[in-house]
Amino acid sequence: MSSDRADRLEGVDDAETAGDGVPEIDDGRYLYCLVRADAGDSLETTGVDGEPVSVVVEDGIGAVVHACDGIYDSADLTQVRRWLVRHQTVVDEAGEAFGTPIPFQFDTILRGDDEGVREWLREEADTLERALSGLANHWEYRVEVVEIDPISDAELVDRDEQLQALESKIDDAGEGTAYLLEKQFDKRLTELRAGRRESMTTDLKTRLDEQAREVHTLERSPTASLADDVTEAAGDGRDGETLCRLTILAHEDDETAIGSILDDVAATDGLEIRFTGPWPPYTFAPELGGDDEPADLDPNQQ
Amino acid sequence: MRPRKDDEALVDVLDVLLRDGAILRADVIVSVAEIPLVGIKLTAAIAGMETMNEYGLFEEWDVERRRSAVTRRQHQRDRRRDDDRTKRDHEQVALEQSRETRDEPDSS
Repeated sequence: MSSDRADRLEGVDDAETAGDGVPEIDDGRYLYCLVRADAGDSLETTGVDGEPVSVVVEDGIGAVVHACDGIYDSADLTQVRRWLVRHQTVVDEAGEAFGTPIPFQFDTILRGDDEGVREWLREEADTLERALSGLANHWEYRVEVVEIDPISDAELVDRDEQLQALESKIDDAGEGTAYLLEKQFDKRLTELRAGRRESMTTDLKTRLDEQAREVHTLERSPTASLADDVTEAAGDGRDGETLCRLTILAHEDDETAIGSILDDVAATDGLEIRFTGPWPPYTFAPELGGDDEPADLDPNQQ
Repeated sequence: MRPRKDDEALVDVLDVLLRDGAILRADVIVSVAEIPLVGIKLTAAIAGMETMNEYGLFEEWDVERRRSAVTRRQHQRDRRRDDDRTKRDHEQVALEQSRETRDEPDSS
């Protein structure tokens, strides 16, 4: 996919490519999102790196952009984070002003000026129209279920005959055998914990599926944390164990129903729910402009 | 319950911006969306390369090349306004020189 793009990029205009493999942009438009908009619409906000944001409109579709002449990259994490927050804020504000946006990844830049953007909007009008209609009034929500006081080993043993049997065997066994039995014991504990998580997740997903358009399971911990230090990145500083993280695409009218389902779960002793949103539908955004197979929308490529 | 949207919640969503969102495939596009930023490479060491690899975030990519993009960006910025000099400043001269003698990029 990316190599494909690289090929095309190289084919675009070698003269414009610097010797370091990163395209030089004389005149570019940093792209935040696409929205439904009418000629003359604008968005009063500040973009990434303090740049003024504008809305380039063609045939009822608006691209929220700012003019730029290079990609945004920095080794300074604080800087990157500031940019990301600005990017997200602009997309959010566009969503509030114009309805569900098609959000773009950070650092997506169109070569050319406003007229170039309009030309692209014209070329892709059908695809963009479909994508906008498909996502209209839908937002992304994220759910994290945390077990504040994870079930103890002792409690798992109480509930599981196999563990009890292993425990008594270990007591009677010699050192070498005991060691092997303990390995089995630990394996069984791990399986039981994973099993509990799975059944809880499946149950919750099933219930959410009734209200949401799409529900996906995410990794139990975020991929790249932009935290400042290792400890913060390694854990989120909260007690407990994350049982599952889900991302949901839902119609805004179903937000309340989803909240009720989560209330039920939160009523369970020892479970805490983090419900955030409504976010622009990042995870559910389409792939645009390619002639290839449609984008794989599964955010959980395990 | 109602979904929250405070700063803490926002932090959770930030890494999504580097990975998700509409992907453009067009000749007019210049995007580094699929290439981890230098800064993100640093966090990747923390987050665990394997996880990042699962998401395909790590194409074979020459950090030096990314760095020179950083350098150029900083130069542009310095030209535009008198910005804070960063701690990478001392590398810029070397990178400038290496860029002039750099081979053509391979498209991997």
